[in-house]
Amino acid sequence: MKEVIAIVRMNMMNQTKKALTEAGVDAFFAHEANGRGKGFINPQVLAGAEDGFEEAASLLGEKGKLYPKRLITIVVEDDFVDTVVASIISVNKTGKPGDGKIFILPIGDAVRVRTGESGMKSIS
Amino acid sequence: MMIMIRAIIRPEKADAVLAALMDAGFPAVTRYSVAGRGKQRGIKIGEITYDEIPKTMLISVIKAEDKEYVINTIMNTARTGTKGAFGDGKIFISDVECAYTISSGIKEGAAEVAA
Repeated sequence: MKEVIAIVRMNMMNQTKKALTEAGVDAFFAHEANGRGKGFINPQVLAGAEDGFEEAASLLGEKGKLYPKRLITIVVEDDFVDTVVASIISVNKTGKPGDGKIFILPIGDAVRVRTGESGMKSIS
Repeated sequence: MMIMIRAIIRPEKADAVLAALMDAGFPAVTRYSVAGRGKQRGIKIGEITYDEIPKTMLISVIKAEDKEYVINTIMNTARTGTKGAFGDGKIFISDVECAYTISSGIKEGAAEVAA
C-alpha cells in the first residue's frame, strides 16, 4: 500500500480529477495549500529586469513567495502507483516550473471506518 | 533516500520558519492551515476551553542526510523564548520512496532505493 501525495496547480484540479477517475481512482483527499519550490524565476520578469525596468527588478527581490496550490492525497495498491503517477503527470505537465511535485510514501495499514475492514479490502 | 518532514507550528511563527528554511538552503516548502490539540487537551482561558487551536502545517521533502539540520532549524525558530512553551508544535518524519517533478517528469530517489 502506498500513499501518493501530489501538489498541483489550482486551475488543473478539474482535469486532474477527471484523469484520476479515468485511471480508476475514485477515492482521494484534496486540500488547499500554499507552497514554494526551488525558487525558479519567471524568465519574462528576468528579461525585464535586465532591460532596466524597475518594476521587474523589484519583483526579483521577492524571495520565498508562496503560491496557491492543491494538495491531493491518494492511497493505492503498490502495483497501481505507476498508473496514478503517469495520469497525474500527463494532465499537469506544462513544462514550466511550478507544475508541482508527486511524493510516494509507504503506508502501514488502512481501515475503513464504516465496516472496520483493514488492509487491501479497505481501499479496493 | 528522502524523508518528508511535517511540522505543526504556531501560525505566527510560520513566516519566521519559512525565512529560516530559505536561508538554510531548503526553499521548497508547502504550507496549509490546520486546527488541533495536543497532550494539554487544548487551552483553558477563564471559563472557556478551546480544544481546537489553529496551527500551521509545513511540509518539506528533503534528503535523509539533511534531516538533523532541518529539524534543528525548524525547532530553534519555532520555539517560544529560549525554553519553549506548550503549543509550540510537533515535527513528524516519514520516509519518501520517490518524488516526481511534474514539469520535467524526472523521478528522484529510485536509484537510492535500488542501491
